[in-house]
Amino acid sequence: MPLESNPLERLREQAALQGVSPTDDDLEAVLDFLTRILPALREIDERLPPETPQ
Amino acid sequence: MIDAFNAFLHREPVEGEWLVGVKDVIDVAGMPTTAASKVLRRVPPRDAECVARLRRAGATIVGKLNTHEFAFGALTNSPHFGPALNPWNPVHSTGGSSGGSGAAVAAGLVELALGTDTAGSIRIPSAFCGVTGHRPSTGLVPTDGVFPVSWTLDTVGPLARTAEECRRALEVMAGRLLEGSPRDLRVGVATRLFEQAESAVAAVCEEALGVLPGRREPVTIPLHDEISTITQLVMLPEAASAHLPWLRTRLPQYGADVRARLLAGLLLPATAHVTGLRARRWAIDEHERELGSCDLLVAPAMPCTAPRLDAIPADFRLALMPYNSPAALLGLPVTVVPCGFVDGLPVGLALYGRRGEDAVPLAAAAAFQRETDWHERRPAALESAAPRNREAVE
Repeated sequence: MPLESNPLERLREQAALQGVSPTDDDLEAVLDFLTRILPALREIDERLPPETPQ
Repeated sequence: MIDAFNAFLHREPVEGEWLVGVKDVIDVAGMPTTAASKVLRRVPPRDAECVARLRRAGATIVGKLNTHEFAFGALTNSPHFGPALNPWNPVHSTGGSSGGSGAAVAAGLVELALGTDTAGSIRIPSAFCGVTGHRPSTGLVPTDGVFPVSWTLDTVGPLARTAEECRRALEVMAGRLLEGSPRDLRVGVATRLFEQAESAVAAVCEEALGVLPGRREPVTIPLHDEISTITQLVMLPEAASAHLPWLRTRLPQYGADVRARLLAGLLLPATAHVTGLRARRWAIDEHERELGSCDLLVAPAMPCTAPRLDAIPADFRLALMPYNSPAALLGLPVTVVPCGFVDGLPVGLALYGRRGEDAVPLAAAAAFQRETDWHERRPAALESAAPRNREAVE
């Protein structure tokens, strides 16, 4: 199965690249969180005045 | 359990003046620091700077207080050490993460407790346990010797019976007197936080407004709908970074909720933290532009009373975020004062100051407490408590 079609496997690979080995339950909790926060992050990115410094 | 409310994780057989308990993410020389975890256990040779300053001012450090695991959650229910129990009703949560601190002060086990507040962890247990707590302006109290949640958001502050006691402790920990006294206060009432609270809680807080000094006007906190997300974008990656070596080697030893949040911070896109830091600047600018002329903001400290330990709502943490995030992200000082009860459980009112002006909410809270006696109420179960404990707080 291609990685793009399996978000849990994609997250597992990202974690493994950082030396971390989460369980399926862990990854499902993370996926649930990311599914909620990433659209909000995108919206903030789009509304953030471009001249805003760090 | 060391005490009836599981407030202490470690207690020394000491006698003395100004009895102080310390949240177990803050180092005390010779006492174990565990953060209510199975991952951390160290016995530091030195006090955290805030503890050292209190000792030099005459404090007696009694022991270490229960916390949400690694101070990374809104409850105090470590799977390894068990929940802190609310002295007003022990089947209810203390809130967290400084829940042992709230319980110890409410139960009269100490005169002062130290807590930490990254995104609400002093304010939640202060409100739920019916004690006075103060989240300082970010940077006012040194965090050396404190296990971090989020380096750019973490604060250390006091929980006690009164705002005067909090102020005394804060001045010692800050190493200077807090200047400024409120006069002709302009008070912004954060209306959306009243509207979003449970109606009985909002009603108690609205009644309390009448006792506050100053001229009140309705306000809306800028970026109200975004500020919780922005706070998460800053906090989660910083927490994951602090824990990364243990995430690699000891992941199964974390409680499930903390593990999930740390992994979320690890797996957010790299740009999330940068966006969070830039959006914080945006939020600070908007806040100063819209509300810079307000000396104080007021709101219910929390939208609800302490939930039952066996019935924590699934959306509990999310529901609290709008109440916790603005001060966390903007670095504002907040004093929480007890202001009434709903069904026998305490309700807290939050007084926010401008960053660096901690004296203003503390003075307004002291003025409120000169006119009310909510801070003098004691849980009925403690009426038979040992006299020494009662003398310590009365």
